[in-house]
Amino acid sequence: MDYKATAQGVLDAIGGKENIVSAAHCATRLRLVIADNAKVNKEQLENVDGAKGVFEASGQLQIIFGTGTVNKVFDEFIALAGIEAGTKEDVKKAAASKQNIFLRLIKTLGDVFVPILPAIVASGLLMGLLEGLTKVIPGMAESNWYTFFHLMSSAALTFLPILIAVSTARVFGGNMFLAAVVGMIMIHPDLANAWDVGAVESAPILFSIGGYSIKLVGYQGHVIPVIISVWVMCFVEKKLHKVVPEILDLFVVPLASVLASGIVALLIVGPIFGQLETWVLQGASWLISVPFGIGGFFVGAVYAPTVVAGVHHMYNIIEQGFLSNGGANIWMPIATAVNVGQGAAALAVALKTRNKKLKSMAVPAAISAYMGITEPAIFGVNIRYKKPFIAGMVGGAVGGMFAALTHVGASAYGVTGIFGILITLPNSELGLGAWNIVNYIFTMLIATAAAFIVSFIWYKDEAPCEKDKVYSPLKGKAIALSQVKDETFAAGVLGQGFAVVPEAGKVVAPFNGKVTTLFETKHAIGVTSDDGIEVLIHVGLNTVALEGKYFTALVKEGDAVRKGQTLLTFDQKAIAAAGYDTTTPVIVTNADDYAAVEVLRKEGKVHFGEEVLRAEAKEAAPAEAPSESVQA
Amino acid sequence: MKFEYVIKDSLGIHARPAGLLVAEAKKYKSAVTIEAKGKKADAKRIFAVMSLGVKCGDTICVVCEGEDAEAASAAMKAVVEANL
Repeated sequence: MDYKATAQGVLDAIGGKENIVSAAHCATRLRLVIADNAKVNKEQLENVDGAKGVFEASGQLQIIFGTGTVNKVFDEFIALAGIEAGTKEDVKKAAASKQNIFLRLIKTLGDVFVPILPAIVASGLLMGLLEGLTKVIPGMAESNWYTFFHLMSSAALTFLPILIAVSTARVFGGNMFLAAVVGMIMIHPDLANAWDVGAVESAPILFSIGGYSIKLVGYQGHVIPVIISVWVMCFVEKKLHKVVPEILDLFVVPLASVLASGIVALLIVGPIFGQLETWVLQGASWLISVPFGIGGFFVGAVYAPTVVAGVHHMYNIIEQGFLSNGGANIWMPIATAVNVGQGAAALAVALKTRNKKLKSMAVPAAISAYMGITEPAIFGVNIRYKKPFIAGMVGGAVGGMFAALTHVGASAYGVTGIFGILITLPNSELGLGAWNIVNYIFTMLIATAAAFIVSFIWYKDEAPCEKDKVYSPLKGKAIALSQVKDETFAAGVLGQGFAVVPEAGKVVAPFNGKVTTLFETKHAIGVTSDDGIEVLIHVGLNTVALEGKYFTALVKEGDAVRKGQTLLTFDQKAIAAAGYDTTTPVIVTNADDYAAVEVLRKEGKVHFGEEVLRAEAKEAAPAEAPSESVQA
Repeated sequence: MKFEYVIKDSLGIHARPAGLLVAEAKKYKSAVTIEAKGKKADAKRIFAVMSLGVKCGDTICVVCEGEDAEAASAAMKAVVEANL
């Protein structure tokens, strides 16, 4: 059956896309919320190819298509109906695909982590408090109350892979319940617990190839392997949905996708990360032995990236190693420098940002880092904005170096940050004097200061890109459109806007959007914003006659562009020398679609990215229906 | 209503003539489309008209459909002949 024709049929029968408030689907039905039920032609709807029934329930118009069909019709339907929302998404996706792979990975990590942060923060804070209390209150660790609170504090971190898996499925558009299953597979109690060094070493061997064996080890506390596995699952699931006949869909697709990702997780991702962990462990053991604080410096610097990669689980072995050789644990103070460094970097972001949401996330994330749980700070804040993460690494390196130089040691392991003070108390057996605790506190202060200062100076809020604004694509002198020495532009025939007498030979994107038209002669470019504002930037007057000479285009038609991205460069001196006026009109060509186009910058100097125009929407903005679509 | 026209202006339909065409087309209720080189454009949208990339020597076909199609067609023809 032709899903597209069916989707079109539905769309026609319900009175067009304007009449949709929201669209979603469950296993069998397309569920629509309709603005005006009077416009729906039920009879026509029932006769749409593939529709097995139509009825209204709980405020929804439901059309039954059946398993395996409904999702395909839904996809087509969204594509047809969601012209606005759909293209917006496309533009976003296209924009994302233009970023380099590293940035995309970071963005994905953030997208996965942010929704689950509340769970981790709650867990992290409670765990920090609990560990602190057990050091203060004698006998607490053995009491049943410890178990009672430990359950609550450790649940989110113990089962972290399930949370990650569900969130990842949301990001990649797979089935969240199947993803949860994949997450459960990865921490199944039948697998050896990754936190338990002894259990990992004696884990059952699945099979061996040559001298290399694949062990049945779980992924407790892991992030990246889970994301990779669920990504595989989503990929397989989506591919299969397309090719498997609908009648078999429910039998084949979930089974095959879970199986594929389970195999990938345990047989491919697992061994690779296991090997990486071994190498990291060997590297770290060697590195920390480098004298004069150099070892501490480098361990402090690279520790946080290993947390991101999820290959930091074996560090306990190093700490255990120091203690069982009768010495103090000199790894823990460096780990503390790293953790408080990331915390301080997040704190700086919290103080500097004007973004309320980010602020409310960064404060608890920072506190949690000081208690030794860094995931919220690293994944929720620092790595998303890159600079704070590097600032945190600087703090870790400087603090780590100080700790190594002053030989700070700990008498146990498993605690870092503020509560780590309790295991740096003077200990004659390990040769830890009164200065040890002072130096430990200094380690934290130094790491905090370094990371905080770097992060505070370096971090800047991204300039906002409001959807009704046009930001200057040029630098120069702003003039009113009516002063342009060209009747057509001056009279506003092409639309409303302003003009710039440029001082730099560069045109940048005035908002996030898409290049709609680029003349072969490259003297004019049309850009449409994600929200539909069409802006024409016409460099110079009559410059069409130059036939492209002195102009260089850095984008092509159809390209997604980000605000501030360079679109064109031009040799303004050569153009002026050739006898042309370089005055560049910047015009909203679909001004008719708006109640008004307000010129915010009438005259005077204007810089790239300054707010220059505002398109005032007409009343009753179109419902952003399809963007709310959910998969059921 | 429709008419064909071979572009004589050496620069083709660039921003200014596109603007004039669109301004004229908008005066009428009829749907006005310009077809060229196998592509169709809504003559009431500047970006669409410009995207056709019409050059000197290309043939365009202007189609007007609606209640005032006759008047629209005549007016479009006048603008086209005067500017292109």
